[in-house]
Amino acid sequence: MSTTRHLVNRRRRLSAAPPAPRARTAPAAVPVPVPASEAPAEPADAEAAPPAPRSRLRGRRAPLVLAAATVLLGAFAAWSAGQAAALRDEPALHNAALTDVGRTSEVKGQLATAVAALFSYDHTAPAAADRAVRAHLTGKAVEQHRAMLAPVRAQGPRQKLVLTTTVTHSGVELLDGDRARVLVYADQRNTRTAAAKDAAGQGAAAKAAGDTAYGAAMFAVEAVRTGGAWRISAIDTLGAGS
Amino acid sequence: MARTTTRNPLLLAAAGLALLAAGGAGWGGWSWYAAAHDESAAYAATRDEVLSAGEQAVQNLNTLDHRDLRRGLDTWRDSATGDLLTQLTAGRPEFERQIQQAKTVTTAKVLSGAVTELDTRTGRASVMVALRVTVTPPKGAPNAKESRMLGELTRTPQGWKLSALGQAPVGSAATG
Repeated sequence: MSTTRHLVNRRRRLSAAPPAPRARTAPAAVPVPVPASEAPAEPADAEAAPPAPRSRLRGRRAPLVLAAATVLLGAFAAWSAGQAAALRDEPALHNAALTDVGRTSEVKGQLATAVAALFSYDHTAPAAADRAVRAHLTGKAVEQHRAMLAPVRAQGPRQKLVLTTTVTHSGVELLDGDRARVLVYADQRNTRTAAAKDAAGQGAAAKAAGDTAYGAAMFAVEAVRTGGAWRISAIDTLGAGS
Repeated sequence: MARTTTRNPLLLAAAGLALLAAGGAGWGGWSWYAAAHDESAAYAATRDEVLSAGEQAVQNLNTLDHRDLRRGLDTWRDSATGDLLTQLTAGRPEFERQIQQAKTVTTAKVLSGAVTELDTRTGRASVMVALRVTVTPPKGAPNAKESRMLGELTRTPQGWKLSALGQAPVGSAATG
């Protein structure tokens, strides 16, 4: 280092000196004829000499400054990324109910149709109910639905039952990718064309109107989207029994 | 040559790292800003706020203890706004008399709830709240029944409050 400094000082003296033919040739990047021992393969540039003290300082300090900047910027990068991730990880954001208008109405529409088909029964066409099961149910909902509709199916032919379910209100509680939970209010009209003693009303608060009974039902369904269609995977009767 | 080779690798490495860090900081700051100003995130947060306010208000308005009528009805008042508040205020004396005679204790439990409509600009929302209401008479067993509540909420300076509340009608023709 001391050799270098010595050299630099010498170089500066030389460049400050009145124009010397030697110095003038220097900008052309011609090696200054100095003893090889003094200038080990130095690109002899009189022009580079003046900024030398600064660049020497930069040489020492700049890495430190850059290191400090790296640490600070890196810390900010990590922290802000953490903040962003925390914001994006809000449970609210995993629920696209209402925020994704198209998906929300798709779920509501498909499940309203599914519920209407699944909880309707016509003694003249009992096969339609089986088709509905295959089209709209999956998983444990199949068994739940079978148990819920068992009384209707048992008495249906004898009582000439016609059960019609209409979804009057539905609201998407959760919509996360291919999973959804929807709260459903449905009205049921249960018509018996044959005389019978006991009603097999599905919902609570069934009130008789001639041989037609109206029932109100509320329940939630959990659904999964497979092959572009929403299927009910579980029926939550909200602790109300069947 | 010796000087440049000893200085540059270190400087270059430091500068490169600093540049990388600056890029990371820029990206982090941008994504943080984007996440904080995400409109759909704000909407989702409002939806959840509306749901919890709605469920709480519906529960409040189905809870009343004849032994502490005043506080119960004050809670009713604080949960309502607009038309519903007007109705509650107008009907309060009559209602107080009825409950004092009936001596009932009514409690409610929210079974499930969903927001069906939300307009953050006008500050109006609709909710469905499935409720189990238990009425305990002075003598006899508690009587529980399920209620299919439909509520409308309005944003007020004190938060979202119910401006309409009723049960979904039974046996009516299908309405959207």
